[in-house]
Amino acid sequence: MSAVAPPIPDTSRQAIALAHAVRDEWLGHGLATLPADRARAEAAVTELYRRLGQPPPRFLWTASPVAAVAAVRGSLPDDAPASRLRQRALPVCGPDLPVAGRLASLCSGLRHRLRGWAGRGWAGRGSQPRGGRGEFRENVDDPEAALRRGTPLFGVVDTVVHTALRASLADAVRAPLRMALLPAEGPPPGLNWHGQHDAFWIARADLAARLGGRRQLWPDSEQVWPWAELARSTGWWWPGPALCVMAERPVETHTEPLRDGGLGGLRLHRDDGPAVRFGDGEELYALHGTPVPRWVVDGPTPELIHGETNVEVRRTAIERLGWDRYIDEAGLRLVSTAADPGNPGSFLSLYDVPPRVWGASARLVVATNGSVEPDGRRRRYGLAVPGYFDDPVAAAGWTYGLTGPQYAQLQRRT
Amino acid sequence: MKRPSSSTVMPMTHPTPLTLAELTERTGLDVLAHLERSLSIPVIDGIQAQGDLIVVPRSELPRVTRSPLAHWQDVGADGVELLRGANGGNPHTLVADRGTCAWTPYVRDAQGLTLCLVTNSAPAYLIHPEHGATGIAPGTWTIRRQRERGDPRTPGGARLVQD
Repeated sequence: MSAVAPPIPDTSRQAIALAHAVRDEWLGHGLATLPADRARAEAAVTELYRRLGQPPPRFLWTASPVAAVAAVRGSLPDDAPASRLRQRALPVCGPDLPVAGRLASLCSGLRHRLRGWAGRGWAGRGSQPRGGRGEFRENVDDPEAALRRGTPLFGVVDTVVHTALRASLADAVRAPLRMALLPAEGPPPGLNWHGQHDAFWIARADLAARLGGRRQLWPDSEQVWPWAELARSTGWWWPGPALCVMAERPVETHTEPLRDGGLGGLRLHRDDGPAVRFGDGEELYALHGTPVPRWVVDGPTPELIHGETNVEVRRTAIERLGWDRYIDEAGLRLVSTAADPGNPGSFLSLYDVPPRVWGASARLVVATNGSVEPDGRRRRYGLAVPGYFDDPVAAAGWTYGLTGPQYAQLQRRT
Repeated sequence: MKRPSSSTVMPMTHPTPLTLAELTERTGLDVLAHLERSLSIPVIDGIQAQGDLIVVPRSELPRVTRSPLAHWQDVGADGVELLRGANGGNPHTLVADRGTCAWTPYVRDAQGLTLCLVTNSAPAYLIHPEHGATGIAPGTWTIRRQRERGDPRTPGGARLVQD
């Protein structure tokens, strides 16, 4: 049994509380849907240009990243924000790089020093935390438990802030928006930054500055403020030599708590409209974090589902349609049915899924929940299983890594 | 819900079967309002499933082994959250009287499905807001989660089910 753990000092508790406050504050900025504070954003960009020795750029405001890319392309060639960097054309030394390239150097240097700050938290345990990702997750779920296990405080608070916000803002919001809104073809629209959606690394700087008062761990936090101002005031932006194209924030962003919700994170989700919408009508649909075409939300049909190549989109669409309707309308062939062990009065049904549906032979075992929903019904759900099963009980057993005879001994399902 | 003070806690090993109402009262964990609270909770000595979780006698899965460095941790009346649902809420929580149940998440399972091993000398309970509660008879158990076939184009690929 566990040994008695030393008490957690109040200063550590305060640091953890501060980390949660910093995280919530920057998450708020990351999801803000108010119109951009244009004066503030322009002042911050102007300051960054000043640090590069550049005169202030002209500003062009657009309603969405899509409109911004069009404006960037429309401004070619004279005002071109740094487009692709051809190796042949690359200048030899720093000051000759395009503005966006030098901004990128500035930014990556800053982030590198921040990583160094966060890395100190792991000092004495090698350069990496023990336990890999699982350890990170535990830190966020229960920071005090992580401290008791001996994880250094800096590691814990950095995980609470940076890991959680990176999952929410960079992975769950920024990445799908880039996929959906930035062009996959044609000339690259050039380097851009994401204002509010870059808040995850700025929050780390904020935390460093607010914790480092005594320890002086973060000497140059004043360098962060233009980036922080941009995260607090605007959406995405494309810096060019003389023109900076700015995009407004979305007018709507809908999310739900991320799976394994202890991360304090979230993902895009809305089931009655676009999850993200910009003022000019550009939008992204997403269900439970899966970016989907509009039809999945508005009107999924078996034809559309079978024509879809993305498995996640297909699964999301089937769930949206409902398993019963899907099986019925898709004409899945029933292979066999058996009583569901431990779930009296319910049956397991095994369906053959034609290769044209999922691209390879597969079967589907459809079961009924062991407990009733608040509306009094029992929900059915379908799980994909390998195509070699003929016995629904064996197929259901496989989903738990059990044999058919083992699963047949199931005494109770709730 | 306010947790009862320890002096008023009746042990879960009380000879008469617990009802859902009594268990939620004692643990401070709650379930959704539509579940019947006056029924006593069955204590199962065998394989049982609660949503995407399954409890299997350890002897049924000899290839799932305890990691050499694993230590058993006591499951207090506050319980241990084993798994949370996809929408962030609705955890499966294991509860037991202090000193009667220990668990360890440090396991080796080639299939990657095992959440933990549990060993109990008195009934332990799994509580879930939507599925209610179920009792686990004294014994040693492997608790696993559920998988489904992933992208059929990736042979052998499977993904864990999110309840």
